[in-house]
Amino acid sequence: MMNLIYTYQPLFDYFLLAVGFAYSQQMVLRAGVFSIGSAGFACIGAYAVGILVKNQGVHPLLALLLAVVIGCVGGFLLSIPLARLRGVFQAIATLAFVQIVVSLCLYFDDLTGGPQGFNNIPKLVQTWHLLLAVAVTIYFMYVISRSSIGRAFDALRQDETVGATLGISIRKYHMIAFVLSGALAGFFGGMQSLYTYSIEPEMFGFAFLVAALTYIILGGRGTVTGPIIGAAIMSVLPELARPLADNRQFFQGALMMVMVAFMPHGVFDGLVLYLRKRRAAARDKTFKEGGHGSTGS
Amino acid sequence: MIAQQLVNGLVTGSVYSLFALGFTLIFGTFKILNLAHAGVFMSGAFIGYFAVLNGLPLWLALVLAMIGAGLVSYIVELTAFATIRGSGQIEFTALISSIGANLCLMSVAQRLSNTKVLRFPFETFPVAFYELGPVRFSFLQIIILLVVVVLLAVMMLYLYKTTFGRQIRAVSGNERVASLLGVNPALVYFQTFFISGALAGVAGILIGLSFNSIHFYMGEPYLLKAFVVVVLGGLGSVHGAVVAGMLLGIFQNLAVAYLPSALTDTIIYGLLFVVLLVKPSGLFGSEGVQVGVARR
Repeated sequence: MMNLIYTYQPLFDYFLLAVGFAYSQQMVLRAGVFSIGSAGFACIGAYAVGILVKNQGVHPLLALLLAVVIGCVGGFLLSIPLARLRGVFQAIATLAFVQIVVSLCLYFDDLTGGPQGFNNIPKLVQTWHLLLAVAVTIYFMYVISRSSIGRAFDALRQDETVGATLGISIRKYHMIAFVLSGALAGFFGGMQSLYTYSIEPEMFGFAFLVAALTYIILGGRGTVTGPIIGAAIMSVLPELARPLADNRQFFQGALMMVMVAFMPHGVFDGLVLYLRKRRAAARDKTFKEGGHGSTGS
Repeated sequence: MIAQQLVNGLVTGSVYSLFALGFTLIFGTFKILNLAHAGVFMSGAFIGYFAVLNGLPLWLALVLAMIGAGLVSYIVELTAFATIRGSGQIEFTALISSIGANLCLMSVAQRLSNTKVLRFPFETFPVAFYELGPVRFSFLQIIILLVVVVLLAVMMLYLYKTTFGRQIRAVSGNERVASLLGVNPALVYFQTFFISGALAGVAGILIGLSFNSIHFYMGEPYLLKAFVVVVLGGLGSVHGAVVAGMLLGIFQNLAVAYLPSALTDTIIYGLLFVVLLVKPSGLFGSEGVQVGVARR
């Protein structure tokens, strides 16, 4: 039993990190913002924590806190210009942001190590730290989704115009989404740099952002459980079947195409929607049979 | 020195234009970002490489790459886009779906090449240089420029002087009405994706020749550059993409020569960011494109 745990511990750790990044990505998508900038904030957070802890000897907790603050500020700053853009244009602008961050990390190589990466970061994060962080994040996401912020996000995602007529400030709530997403990405980026010994700019490039999007597409955009399911599927499935692991990329790509075609809400959200629809149908049926004459509320 | 950089930039830029043209054609017509364009580009290079390896002459390899990449592009449309058409939120789902298709194409190419960088056999293309005053041309550069100019001219004629251009506009405006008026949407989809893929395929083999390196990962940098090109030229604007591609190529070469080369990417993407904020419709974009930008 212990052997099994030791073998799969790294996998589990990466799964936990993936959940963190997935939540950061979900936060913006949930508010109807088509941003893929999480990778950039994760990169900033990772380098900030790595440099602070290794070069400056800052206490890791303080460094992580700073990463969160940097993520917040970064998200806030990015949200100001992006308030003008929508849809595809938002996606392209955030992609440009990620590219700028990555290329700056490559440029300032005396600080970041450039393409060789930033190495020998002390490994201070253990599995239980990650577990704790993810647990707190889940609670946090749950609270947000149940608060007025979460409801405003849902309204804006489903229809911005309706949201605005209901008195929801689009600018304000999109800003909140950016700030929270930046904070989460910065924090988990910092965790990753304290976990993996070394970081390099390319880790946070295009592939990173594709992975984060995959978790959300698989799991779902609207629920707290969705990203966990998505990250779990992507982490576990290649381990279950070796042929899948060899063709991991092909499998991931095919899965993405199949999912958006046949289950556009993701596995978990799709299930929730299906159950909800079935319950509603059952309720309508009892109304009709019972002869209440009510149209159902 | 400057003249030399300008010429080099023009050659690089012409390939960017070729790549970005197909990308913007699909966006302008169907309002989807086709990220699998990178994979199509790469498949063109692979098809050309294997054709040359099997002893075919280079011009035939070029034609094969063109047709092959066009077909690959159409397969992408069948597998990634035809399945989600008609569902809501096409913007988001098409992006995801095309990322998926791109991963599949890259994975196949990785298998074919065993993750190695492939090189054309020695002397596939004659190495020759010509001097014109202070500027040095390679034979390859001349051919690239020639191929691109001919293709662009044919493309423009096809898009603006035949009924096909009108058919595209009709289908992109309203597919149902277009089909009532006797336009076959399936044919328009096929032609658009085939043309877009064919252009990318030619760009792929030209890039493969000029750097003599073909690998499964080669599409991504060009895709990222294509974002800059199409936004600069106006998303969906065909002539905008051509001009912006040339400009980007020239700018990039000048920047590498006269600015710290590591900063080139920062400047280019910074430019993209600024253009998106200041004039999201791009330099040549029509007002119609603006609709997707402004607050609804």
